[in-house]
This record gives sequence, structure tokens and C-alpha cells, in this order.
Amino acid sequence: MPVENPSRELILERIRAGLRTPVAPHPGPRSDAVIFEPIRNPLERFQQESTANLMECTLTSDLAGAALQLGKILDSLPAGEIFLQDDPSLRRLIELTKTQRPLRWSSEGAPREASEATVSLAEALIAQTGSVLVTAECGGRGASIVAPCHIVYAHAAQLVPDLETALGNLFRSGKLVRNSFACVISGSSRTADIEKILVQGAHGPRRLAVILQTGR
Amino acid sequence: MPRKVTLFVPCYVDQLLPEVAADTVRVLRRIGCEVEFPENQTCCGQPAFNTGYWNDARPCAERFVRVFGGAEVVVCPSGSCTTMVRTFYPELLSSSPLRDDAIELGRHTFELSEFLVKIAGVTELGATFPHTVTYHASCHGLRELKLRDEPLELLRKVKGLKLLELSRSEECCGFGGTFATKFADISVAMGNSKAECVAATGAEFVTAIDSSCLLHLEGVLRKRGKAAKTIHLAGILAQEKP
Amino acid sequence: MSETSAQEFLRKAAVKSADLVHRDIIRQGIESYDAAHLRGRLRFRDWDAARQKCREIKQEAINHLDKYLLQFEEKVRARGGHVFWAANAQEACQYVTDIARRLGVRTVVKSKSMVTEEIHLSPALEKLDIKVWETDLGEFIVQLRNEPPYHIVTPAMHLNRAQIADLFHEKLGERIPGNDPTKLVALARRRLRQSFFSAEMGISGANFIVADSGVIAISTNEGNGRLCTSVPRIHVVVTGIEKVLPRLEDLAVFWPVLATSGTGQAITTYSTLIGGPRQAGEADGPDEFHVVLVDNGRSRLLADAEQREVLHCIRCGACLNTCPVYRSVGGHTYGTTYQGPIGSVLTPHLAGLRQYQHLSYASSLCGACTSVCPVKIDLHHHLLHNRRNAVNSRGSKLGERMMFRLWRSTMLHPRIFVFLSSAGRRLLRLLYRMGLAGSIVDPMRAWNRYRSPVPLPAESFRSRWRKGLAG
Repeated sequence: MPVENPSRELILERIRAGLRTPVAPHPGPRSDAVIFEPIRNPLERFQQESTANLMECTLTSDLAGAALQLGKILDSLPAGEIFLQDDPSLRRLIELTKTQRPLRWSSEGAPREASEATVSLAEALIAQTGSVLVTAECGGRGASIVAPCHIVYAHAAQLVPDLETALGNLFRSGKLVRNSFACVISGSSRTADIEKILVQGAHGPRRLAVILQTGR
Repeated sequence: MPRKVTLFVPCYVDQLLPEVAADTVRVLRRIGCEVEFPENQTCCGQPAFNTGYWNDARPCAERFVRVFGGAEVVVCPSGSCTTMVRTFYPELLSSSPLRDDAIELGRHTFELSEFLVKIAGVTELGATFPHTVTYHASCHGLRELKLRDEPLELLRKVKGLKLLELSRSEECCGFGGTFATKFADISVAMGNSKAECVAATGAEFVTAIDSSCLLHLEGVLRKRGKAAKTIHLAGILAQEKP
Repeated sequence: MSETSAQEFLRKAAVKSADLVHRDIIRQGIESYDAAHLRGRLRFRDWDAARQKCREIKQEAINHLDKYLLQFEEKVRARGGHVFWAANAQEACQYVTDIARRLGVRTVVKSKSMVTEEIHLSPALEKLDIKVWETDLGEFIVQLRNEPPYHIVTPAMHLNRAQIADLFHEKLGERIPGNDPTKLVALARRRLRQSFFSAEMGISGANFIVADSGVIAISTNEGNGRLCTSVPRIHVVVTGIEKVLPRLEDLAVFWPVLATSGTGQAITTYSTLIGGPRQAGEADGPDEFHVVLVDNGRSRLLADAEQREVLHCIRCGACLNTCPVYRSVGGHTYGTTYQGPIGSVLTPHLAGLRQYQHLSYASSLCGACTSVCPVKIDLHHHLLHNRRNAVNSRGSKLGERMMFRLWRSTMLHPRIFVFLSSAGRRLLRLLYRMGLAGSIVDPMRAWNRYRSPVPLPAESFRSRWRKGLAG
């Protein structure tokens, strides 16, 4: 529904008029200086950083190991529905866990508020900050925020060294043109709004577990 | 090392704290400088500039540039007044015919510790001061002139002096020129905060490169009945064996 | 006569700066921030290069602001989102309330946004009987107290856990034993969760607007920003026009820099990008997506080339944390949406120099703010510029103007300077001997009232010089 917006032209005109007086560049060091230490061992760095971010990161060599790990996590959770990104790899994985829990797939819609856990894939893992990059394709927006536990199944080949690479890939892949949402997740939900004391599990997941498969 | 040094004495130091300027002269002479003092100097213009009265500050700045214009090296026992000349004159006089002279003057104007360490290359001044001392980093010296280590280097070389580290030494003491009177409550709260840090060191003296900070701090300390005394860096460096 | 902003500031500043309980709470909070911030900076190989890079990117963004905003708009529209340009607070609020009315919104969940505070959006919605929930924990706390945020990043920094526990007991009817922060957070989570899932509209700000991708970026730790933008049927973004970054990749430096400066974290937990409503094939997301681009004085600031860089601000709060004045008087004393050094620089541009010039004077010009600013805004020098502008627009008091005129005449004539100074010293010595230092007749009262009197030597330096020191 189009809305009349006369201020649009007005604001643009004001901006253009203001910019007619240029400002000199700020003196300072050259901006092509190296800002971050280069990442030598992405896997090691990811493990360090994700631990520092209070994530659980488990390495596993194959699909069976991943299923075992997923099963363990699910067993530790209270009874209730699990929401999963509808992807063949996750269908295979959950089948291997032989879980009896009710499952809801992203193809059926958003996760229910009472979901006990959400399981999704990632677009990439970022070593520099120990982060998981997801987009709407990873089961939607709620898949990484609604439940008290978010489980990510990822492959070591998805590791990128830093944010710059991750964002560059995301841009070039065109995924942001198709997706309305992406998020770099670096740990569990938290707050320090009370006396700067860190409390986990504010509004989002208290637990973020990454099952990282290193082999095929 | 420059032989001839022209002394710039901040107006309030001239009138209220003459000993600081006299000590500066002693220190400069001890390292072999010939000291000149242009008697027609007044104020660099900072009080008006900082309060927003640039049109009143400008003629004073222009006058200052004329008075000190021929000097080879200007030395000032104040980081704040040196900042006025070096950092703010180019902006204040940006459309003055004296702009280029002001920029040139700024390049040759130095705060005392800066001059001693960076220009004269001297840190050992043969001073003796058998007391415990803590150092407050005055803001203009620290952040405008980037003088972090120079005063400390000089203090470390003083015989008998025990330097005690001040916690939050880079936090402002609360002076701030007209701020000290316009917002006295805040200024004094900041001063009290600083006074507590000074007291916590247990030092007999607190020193700085700016008398304005020390004047404020002394006022706050004495009002609180605190033991530490204030002394300008020049006052310590000027002390020889009794 | 009602109190002016300046009088109110002075009154509150006097109370707060003498309030030692307040001072201890703030000091404790900021000391833990300081330690984290310091550690955070060490994660960069070259922190200063990061600041310089951010500065250059923001300068490029602002220098082509029209182009980048249009690029952003085009991409959002391509995903079916709406972009509305609001010249002022009234237009912005009107647009949002119109949507709420049209779609019968009863409940709104909000994630933290300083721009919505600036334009007073919540009161505008509440007038329509819409329930507005602040969902950031700190914002939720100050909302329950009917207070504005105390700090742009940590809105409830002025409260300790006991005060928060009492507040929750009073307003939410539940007593948390031992004032345990974990349980306090859990209580807020339970309360707000109902709101997230019943609200029809979510309102968020934007930390950045990314032009080349047509997305907004929101950084939150709690995840409330995620829920506000995922669950309700409508998502409205309210943000300032200056928040633009040219490229998605720019976030690779801005995200870490913002997190480091804001809280000392390496990166904020949820660094989210949103570019539209739910797309075909997506599992969830709002049906409607609106971005309100708020000018409200920003284009006026942009026209001031000297202070244009103030638009580079990323609202990290570092300048507040480091500011000794903020530490002394606290956030509420300012009486402005944006507090601390950035607030003192910015507010006169957004809300009027005449009314807010006093904030530019309420600074010792120590420059701590400038030294920490992650986009290298020359904050304390802009306070000087504001002071100059205030004086030049005849905003200063007549008495002060006359005093500086007199001062100037004195300083231009060394003889008058010497004569007046020495006469003044003599007069003051007389007064002080009579015990009148700091009294109403003391011309130095403003100084001496609060401090022991200034020294008054018998002789000036220049007189000693003449008498022999010259050698």
C-alpha cells in the first residue's frame, strides 16, 4: 500500500545541499594497516572462541558420531517437541538418533513457542569470533532463537577464517538478495544489565551446541 | 641543544604562583640555557577561547604571536597553555594574517618537560627531593601534546624521590578552566575523586605539569584536610642538595 | 517562572555529584566495563587502525549519504519492504501509529532503540491504548520505573540488584529471594515471553543500514531484538538517516569495534541482518516490513561541515563511560535522550543550541571522550565549537560578555594587566585577612566557596624578574 511521502525529496534535497560544502579527510594512520591478527588455524581458533562464547562445540568424525552427539543432547533436554530445518542431511541425522520426540519441520512453518530445541544447519562457521552464520534458509528466523536450546550441525569445510570472508561470501553468493534474514550468532543468549553480571539465557537459547563434523 | 630559551609564563602563574616560573628559570639555567622573559607578555587567550569568546581571544592570540614571534624556542611550564598555542592557534587564527606565523610559533613552543626530554635531551638535572611523590597526568599535556612518559622520566631521575603510582592517574582532576566555577559542584566532585586516589597512595606530594590542576587540587585537598601537598614539576626539578 | 534546562541540570548535578551511593554503583559498573574494554582492545592487532578505518568508512558513507540511502531503499523495496522518510519526530510517529491503527495493533514489543526515545514513539502509541513492552532487560527495568534510559547502552546501570528486585516485587508481584540476578532475568524472560508471542508489531532500531545489501543490522545480546523481529506480524524499524554503511563487508570491522567499545565483547551475541518481510519459501518472519528513516535535525548537522563527523557516531557509549562528568552526575541529569559527551555535542543540533548550550560548558574539556571514540569524532573540540557558536549567536549572558570584553582590553595592555592584577591581589589579601574568603563579597567566591583560597603572593613573577632574577 503506497503512502505519500513528501519528505523523501525534501530530506534528499537537504542532504545534497549540505554536502556541497566538502570536508577534508581526517589525518591519521593508513587504513590499510592490518587490523586483526591473521588466523593461522581456523579449527583451533573456532574451538577457542566458541568456548569463550559459552557455546558447546563437539568435534565428530562422521555422521554416526554426529547422530550420537545429537542424541546425547536431546536426551539431556526435558520432554517436548523438537523443531528442525527441513533438510535431507538433518532428516538422516535425526533418523539415526532414533528419538521418539515429536518433530516439527521448517516446511511446516515457524517453530512453536514451546519447542524444547531447534536443530539447524549453518551457512558458515567463523573462526575469528567463534560464530555461526545462519540465514533464513537455515529453518527460518525462529530456528535459532525461539527454543531454550539451539543445535547446529555443521561441517569443518564450512569454516571460514574471519568475518570479512564470511560477509564477503554471503554478499557474493547473492543469498541476501533471496533471504530476508541472516545472523552471526556468537554464543548463547545473555545479558549483563544487572550490575554488569553475566547471566545466560535472557530471551534466546540458554544453550548453543555446535556439532562439528570433520570427516565425510 | 638550543642555548637561548624564551620563557612563556602563563598569566595566572605570573600573578599567583611566581615560584613555579622562578623554578622553571632555575632548571633551564642549570642545563645551560640563557633565559629570556619578554616582559610585555600577558595571556595566551585560553580563558576566552575555551569559554567560546573567540572574537575576544583572537586579538590576544595575535598579540602573543607578535610578542613571541622572533623566538628560537619558547618554553612554558604548562601543558595547557602550550596546547593553546600549538593546537588551538591554527584554528583560532585560521583567517588571520598571522596564521602562518602562529603555526610556526606552535612548532617552537614546548611544555617544560617536553623541552627538557625531547628537545634538550636531558633527564638528569641533578635535583634532590627526598620525599614520596605521586604524579597526576594533566589532560592537555597527556591528550593534546601526547606527553605521557616525559614528566615521569624526569621524576625517576630525581635523587631521594620515591615515585608512587596514582590509580586512575589519567582521569581529569576537574579543573577545566571556567568549568571549575560554572559547574563547581561537578568540578569539586571530580577533585574529590582525585583527592581520594592521591590519599590512597600515601604520598607526601602530588605533582603535575600544570599549575591550574594543582591549584584546584590543592584547594580541594586542603578543604578536605588531606595531608598531601601539591608541587609543580618545576618545583621538584629545581631542588638541589640542601 | 519554570526552570530552564540549564537550571535543572545544575540542580540535579549538585545532588548527584554529592550522592556517594550513586557514585559507587556507577563506579563499580564502569570499572568492570573498563577492564573488559581494555581486554577487548587487545584482541585487535591495531586498535587505532581499526578506528581510523571505521572513521574513513563513515566519512565515505556520509559524503554520499543520498546515494547510499537510495540504494538501500531500492533493495528493501525489491524484497517487498516499505521505506518511509520522516523529516521530524512527528512524521515518524504518525507513520508508525497509522500502521498500528490500520492493522488493529494492540500490543507492541520493542527492542532497544535510542531513535524511538528521541522521537517519543512509545507515548504516541500508548495514546492509542496500545500496550508497549520494552524487551531489552535494562529498558524493561527503566520502563517499569517510568524513567528514561540512564545510559545509551546500559539503560539501568544506576540500579543495583536489590533495587531491581524491589521493583520487580512491586510491579510484577514476585519476590526473588536473595536478589539473585539469574532469577531476576528469568522472571523478566517469563513476563516478556508472553508479550513476544501476543504482539502484532515489533519495533526495533538499527545499529547500521547497509546500502549495498539493503539490510539493517541489529546487535543484541539477549535475543530480544531477534524475537521482536521474528515473531510479530509486522516489523517496523525506526532509525536515523546517518546509520549508513556502504558495504556489507564493512561490518567485519564495525561489528567488533562496536562490541568492543560498547561492552568489551569480541562481537555482540546476535549480529542480525534483516532486509524485508518473510520471503517466499521462508519458514517464518513478519508479513510487513517497514523502515522509517528519521532526519529530525540530522540533515541540519550535515550542513555544518565543521561538525559533520558527529554523524559518524555509532552510539557505542564509550564516551559516556570514560567521561568524568558523566561518572559524577549520571545519565538522568542531562535531561536529554543522548547523554554524556556525544549527547552534549549532538543535542544542541537536534533540539536547539539556546536550550542546550549549557551541556557544552559542562565539561572540563579533558578529551578522554575523543581518545576512546571508535570513529574518532573530535568530541571535546566540538564542545568548544558549540561554545563558540553559542556566544556568537548571543546566547551568553550580558555580564559574561562584558567581562570578557574587559578581560581582552586588559590582556592587550600589559601595564593595565600588571596594575589590575597587583591591585586585585592586594584587595583580596585584605579581604581574606578579614576572613571573608568565599563570602558573598569575595570576587573569587565561585572558586573559594568550594576550595581553600587561592594563594596571593606579595610579588608577581615579572616583578621578581625585574628585581634581579633576570640575572
